[in-house]
Amino acid sequence: MISLRGVGVRVGGFALEDITLEVPAGGYGLVIGPTGSGKTTLLEAIAGHMPLSAGRIALRERDVTTAAPEQRQVGIVYQQYHLFPHLSVGENIGYGIRKEGAGSREQRVRELAALLRLTPLLERGTVGLSGGEQQRVALARALAPRPGILLLDEPFAAVDPATRRELRKELRALHEREGTTTLQVTHDFEDAMRLGDVVAVLADGRIAQAGAPEQVFRYPKSRFVAEFIGTGTILRGSVERTGSVDPATGRFAAVFHADGLSLEVVAEREGGAYAVLRPADLILSKSEAEGPAPRNRFLATITRIERESAIAHVTLNLGKTELLATVMSSTAEELGLRTGATVGVAIKATAVHLI
Amino acid sequence: MRPRLSLWSVGLWLLAALLVLFVAGPLVRLLLQASPASLAAALSDREVGAAIWLTVLTASAATLLGLGLGVPLAYLLARGRFPGRRIVAGIVELPVVVPHPVAGIALLLFLGRQSVLGGGLARLGLEVVNHVPGIIAGMLFVSVPLVVSAAREAFRAIDPKLERVARTLGDSGWAAFRRVTLPLAGRGVLAGAVLGWARSVSEFGAIVILTYNPKVASVLIYDRFTLFGLPAAVPAAVLLLLLALAVFLVVQLLAPEPVRR
Repeated sequence: MISLRGVGVRVGGFALEDITLEVPAGGYGLVIGPTGSGKTTLLEAIAGHMPLSAGRIALRERDVTTAAPEQRQVGIVYQQYHLFPHLSVGENIGYGIRKEGAGSREQRVRELAALLRLTPLLERGTVGLSGGEQQRVALARALAPRPGILLLDEPFAAVDPATRRELRKELRALHEREGTTTLQVTHDFEDAMRLGDVVAVLADGRIAQAGAPEQVFRYPKSRFVAEFIGTGTILRGSVERTGSVDPATGRFAAVFHADGLSLEVVAEREGGAYAVLRPADLILSKSEAEGPAPRNRFLATITRIERESAIAHVTLNLGKTELLATVMSSTAEELGLRTGATVGVAIKATAVHLI
Repeated sequence: MRPRLSLWSVGLWLLAALLVLFVAGPLVRLLLQASPASLAAALSDREVGAAIWLTVLTASAATLLGLGLGVPLAYLLARGRFPGRRIVAGIVELPVVVPHPVAGIALLLFLGRQSVLGGGLARLGLEVVNHVPGIIAGMLFVSVPLVVSAAREAFRAIDPKLERVARTLGDSGWAAFRRVTLPLAGRGVLAGAVLGWARSVSEFGAIVILTYNPKVASVLIYDRFTLFGLPAAVPAAVLLLLLALAVFLVVQLLAPEPVRR
C-alpha cells in the first residue's frame, strides 16, 4: 500500500501541495500530468529523496515520513533509466541484493533476466544497450530486492511506440507476477487506461482529480482535467472487420460494437477494444440529417449541460450509453441546446480512437 | 591547389610558436646544462637526495591530507544546497591569488608558537614552524584549491539520480558514495590529487618562510644558488625538473578524455 496524506514538498520555487493519494496493496496507480506538474518530485518524495514540508507518507501500513530512502524498500525506475555505467548488466541487476548469499543473488538475477529477456546481455556493459533494453535492466534492478513498492517515472517516454506497447504488456504481466504495488507517473492517458487501477491527475503541484480511470475519464471534474486528458467517453466493445486491410498501413475499415451503439471505425486489429471519443470530435446538429457527412450519425437526448465561459460540456444519452461532447457556447446558443432536447450527433470514423 | 597563406594565418602561427618557445626553451636549456657526470654527482649528494626524498614525502602527506579533507568538502560543494555555499567555494579558491610568501607569513602568524593554535599544538608535542609539519602546512595551503576544484567538478558531472537509485536499492549515503559516486568520479579526483601533489613539490615561497630547515628540494636549490652560485644549483634543479616532468606525464595520462560534442 502507498498512502499519501496531505503531502507537501518544496523544491526551489516549485511546490507540491496537499497531495492525498492511496494505492492499495498490489494495486497499480497512475499519476498523469503535463511536464513540469511535479510528477518526478512526487516519486522522489515517496522514495525519501525529498524532505516533506507537510503531510505523512505510509508504505505497507508503516509511516515512513522521516525514514531514509534505504529503509523504505522501494524500487525506482527513472525516465532516463540511470543504469550504473561502471557496472555490467548483471551487476546492475544484482546491485540491491549484495547482502544475500552469492547463490541466491545469482539465482534472482538469472530469474529476472529470463523474465525480461536480458539473459544474453548479463555480462555486457550498459553502454550501447537500446532504450528498451536499458529500460528492462532498470526494471530488473529495481525489482531484484523484491521491494514491494515500485515507482516508475515515465517508463515509456524514451522508447519507440512498438517497444512501448511491448513493455506495457510486460510490465502488466510482471506486476501481476511479482504483486508489487506500483505507482507510475506518465503524461500518456493510454498508460492509465491499460495499466491503472487508480488514476490521479496532477496539475501545478496539486491533484486535480483522482479515482478509477474510467471514472476520471468519463467525468472530468474540471476543465483542466477534461482538456488535459481530452478523452471524454470511453466505450468498451469489440471490433468487427468490414473492409480489406490496407497493406501500407495495416489498417482496415471496421465496425465497433458497443452496448447500444455501433460505430464505423478504422482499426488495426479485431476483437475486444476500447473506443475513445474526444468531446470536441462529437459534432452536434439540430437533427440527424443536418450538417456535414461523417459516417456515424445518430440521435441522442441531452441530459445535462454545463457551461464554462467559452465552452459548454454536454452530456448525451443514447439509451444504454452516455457520451460527452464539448461545443463552443455560441454554437450551443445557435442550436438552442437544452436539457431534454433531442439532437443529431455525428462523428468521423477516423475520429474514433481505438485502444 | 593549396590556398595561399594569408598574413593572418602566418601571424597566428608565428605568435603561437614564440610563446611555446619561451616556455620550452628555458626548460630544455636547463636539461642541457647538466652533464651526466654532474647529475650522477647530485644523485649521490646526500643532501640533495634527502631534500628530494623529503619533498616527495611531505608532498604526499599534504596530498593525502588534502584528499581526506578536500573530497568531503568538494562533495558538499557539488551536491549540497546550503547558505553561503558560494562563499565557501570562494574561500577555498583564495590560495590561488594569494602570493606565496604572503601565504607563508599568514600561516606563520596562524601556526607559530605565539599563536593560539600553534602554541596548543606545540604543547601537544607537535611543532609546526621550522619543522616538517610546517612544510606540509604550506603545501596543503597552496594545493587545496586544485584538489577541491578537480574533485568538485568530477562529482558535479555525476547525475545525483544515480546515487538516489543506489539509495533506494538499500545503500546508506556512505555506501552509495563508495559504490557509485567514487568509482565514477575517481579518475577526476585522482587527476586533481596528482596536480595538487605536483603543486606541493613545486612550492617554495610559503615553505621558505615556514620551514627553512629541514630543506625541501626547492629551498635547497635556492640555498645553493645564493651560497655557491648557478653551477651548484643546476644539478638539483635538473633532478627536480625531471621529477616534475614525470608527474606531468601521469597527469596527462589520467586526464579525462575530451568530451565529443
